[in-house]
Amino acid sequence: MTQDITNRAKPNIPWAGKTVHMERVEEELFRLWHMSADNMRISQNLHVRTSVLNFVICAHDIPSAQKASAILRNLSSTHIARVTLLILDTSTNAPTDVTTWVTLRSFSIISDIMRHAFEQITVLVSGQAVHSAANIIQPLLKPDLPIYLWWLSDPVSENDLFRRIASVSNRVIVDSNDFSAPGQSIGTLSSFAENFPDCAVSDLNWGHITPWRQLVAQFFDTTEFQPYLAGIHTIEVEYAVAPLSESGGVALNPTRAWLIAAWLKTRLSLLPKSSSEQDADKVNIFIRPRTQSDIQPGSLCLIRLTSSLDNHQAIFTIDRGDDAEHVLTQVELPLANRPQRAVSMATTHAVNELLHEELEILGHDHSYEDTLHEMYALFAR
Amino acid sequence: MPQRSVVEATNPLREGLRIKQSPEPCVMVIFGATGDLTHRKLLPALYNLALEHPLPAGFSVVGFARRPYTDETFRQQALDSINEYSRQKPVNPQVWETFASGIHYLQSDFHNLAGYEKLNTLLNKLDQERGTNGNRIFYLSTPPSQYAEIIQQIGAAGLNRNRKGWTRIIIEKPFGHDLASARELNRQVGKVFKEDQIYRIDHYLGKETVQNILVFRLANGIFEPVWNRRYVDHVQITVAENLGLEGRGGYYEESGAIRDMVQNHMLQLLTLVAMEPPIAFDPNAVRDEKVKVLHALQPLVGRDVMNNSIRAQYGPGFVGGHPVPAYLEEQGVSLNSTTETYVALKFFVDNWRWAGVPFYLRTGKHLPKRVTEIAIQFKTAPLMLFKRSETHGQVEPNVLTLRIQPDEGISLKFGAKVPGTDMQIRSVNMDFFYGSSFVRAQPEAYERLILDCMLGDSTLFTRRDEVEAAWMFIQGILDEWANEDRSTIHTYESGTWGPQAADEFIWRDGHRWRRP
Repeated sequence: MTQDITNRAKPNIPWAGKTVHMERVEEELFRLWHMSADNMRISQNLHVRTSVLNFVICAHDIPSAQKASAILRNLSSTHIARVTLLILDTSTNAPTDVTTWVTLRSFSIISDIMRHAFEQITVLVSGQAVHSAANIIQPLLKPDLPIYLWWLSDPVSENDLFRRIASVSNRVIVDSNDFSAPGQSIGTLSSFAENFPDCAVSDLNWGHITPWRQLVAQFFDTTEFQPYLAGIHTIEVEYAVAPLSESGGVALNPTRAWLIAAWLKTRLSLLPKSSSEQDADKVNIFIRPRTQSDIQPGSLCLIRLTSSLDNHQAIFTIDRGDDAEHVLTQVELPLANRPQRAVSMATTHAVNELLHEELEILGHDHSYEDTLHEMYALFAR
Repeated sequence: MPQRSVVEATNPLREGLRIKQSPEPCVMVIFGATGDLTHRKLLPALYNLALEHPLPAGFSVVGFARRPYTDETFRQQALDSINEYSRQKPVNPQVWETFASGIHYLQSDFHNLAGYEKLNTLLNKLDQERGTNGNRIFYLSTPPSQYAEIIQQIGAAGLNRNRKGWTRIIIEKPFGHDLASARELNRQVGKVFKEDQIYRIDHYLGKETVQNILVFRLANGIFEPVWNRRYVDHVQITVAENLGLEGRGGYYEESGAIRDMVQNHMLQLLTLVAMEPPIAFDPNAVRDEKVKVLHALQPLVGRDVMNNSIRAQYGPGFVGGHPVPAYLEEQGVSLNSTTETYVALKFFVDNWRWAGVPFYLRTGKHLPKRVTEIAIQFKTAPLMLFKRSETHGQVEPNVLTLRIQPDEGISLKFGAKVPGTDMQIRSVNMDFFYGSSFVRAQPEAYERLILDCMLGDSTLFTRRDEVEAAWMFIQGILDEWANEDRSTIHTYESGTWGPQAADEFIWRDGHRWRRP
């Protein structure tokens, strides 16, 4: 039986539930489910318990873990069977320790009559135990279910911790928009994706730009515009930065713009080449900041593709304008313009929605992984 | 340009995106644009498609009807309808502005060729201004009695021929009133449009859970081996409505449960349950297999009809806690009406897979609740090892239930040991609720089907031979019922699960109706 390694006071994390010894996690969860069933009979509510996936969330401090735990409340997905919230206390003076809490969480799905319940285990590891975090969580995982790892910070850590935990997962989810060192982190991710093909890599930031990718792709679903795809010679991408007075010198993270540019470059390189058409390597890419105070810094503001086909130029534009909730799409042709269209982007912002999308995918998103490698190459130039 | 079947995405930017293809810019002409269906279903469906991005920028709608509206009044009515019936409220002003700029109205009688010529001019103008490139969908949202006239005028105006883009026509159910009228309508529409341009819509096929029947059967290896006469005892398909006529007495008098529900929705459900796996998931491969099932239905003729069917009308009673009148007291219903509001059928599918397995179908109005389900009851274990005293007669056969609506999901009933030192066995249900694993908002059936038509995918639409094969089976029943007097029509109390005769009908085979 595991003993407390130190006698220090346990941190108080009321939202994490009841403190239990790690060996007694399953026993305590069983008891909680039993009580829950009794409550269900009393209240006539229907508790839906699904067994679709293990969700491991890896945080580097308690506030981040609490924030992630709160996001689960708004996660409209009901896929989760068990959440294992792993808090890595990497502070140099922390004593070696492992503390575990368990709780059941239950949220209404459609109405209060039907509620979705899942179990959450919170594990705080510190000191030397941090190095063994990947092993410590192994017995806490539900058997025969895929493991999704949500890594809350830059995927760069001492002692190769990211690689060790990610490599026992089926899918690792990061948010490159939150990277403090985008170049280095993209490099780590790219290298991980290459070396660990059994684990898929995904990025909430990629999900964030997916509606933009849909709109770009939609231009070229139309037979009339398809030929222009091969003639694209200029890609312009603009992303939002706060005015200098508001940004307070905070470093910019332009990864969304880089993702879009890298994605376009990889996809265009797949087009069959003819002598008259552009080579993807010769496409001019311009990534520019746009000062815009009303939207989150890093958000995409504009994508403009310029194509030439038989000396005719066509311009395909998606522009956010001044409205954070909508974009305008437009096609300018040599002889006629097509109607401008307003498209709602309102449902694409919240982290819980992006997370929901990611938890629906199990396999590799090859398009993202190709883009990741390309983005690393662009960064490296 | 040739009519496309399912379009394969050739756009490299689509790799990895959930939406594999968005449609070409096109114009949808809605005949009967001022009617109930247009305002309750079609316009909200089109708006939702615009809101969720698949519709291309130039997409346009032309309302074609008799009322003297302008573009502006039609747009305002469309906005009112979307505000009331759309699943996405309130209307997004910016998206609406873009969508509304493509909405037009053309006033004309359906028999007036000049109106169709004006329509042709308007469509050509939209091609130029909005880049719709000759791509057109004609949607018949009128009473069926107008179909032939509109189709003929479309042909006379040359709107069916199109050198630039594609032309398709969507025809609402009911597709014919009997076998002869369905064949005649097929002949008339076939004179103007080729079969691959014709999309006969049955909105049931657009429901996510109906499509899930195919996924359940064909994407899971464990069910197909037991999906046959060796393991299945019988199949029950129930489509129950708690509603009555809702002011549609005139329509329903001409239709009845067998035409309104069985000929289309229920036989569609049957084909999805009973069909062989298609060679590919493409429109014709799927529909080929569905047609084979319809052709394999053992015909009910002569006395077989009365032995294998029950028809009934609802009497007074209580539904949802409210008193309701008898069918014969409803407005628009003849006192001597022979129209059935309830029908139960038993028949066989004569092929190797299903030989000897009875299929029971029942549908009715003013039943206790609204529910649609398919129940596959399996044969019992070949030898019951447990004593009767241990099972208390409560070990029931395994039943796999596919619930289409509401509470969409799948249940499997099986026997389990009651915890304790003795051997007690009870039947329990293992439930899968669609909403417990997927809470993504489901699109309305019309959204899916209209989008499929724009993309040229007719998998979820009904083919000519499918319609005729379904009517061929139903016609034998209609003919025999017509020969019988009113005394063969049973009555059931509103708010019950149907007439006593229907219970006795299934008891004869040693079965009983499920209580959904």
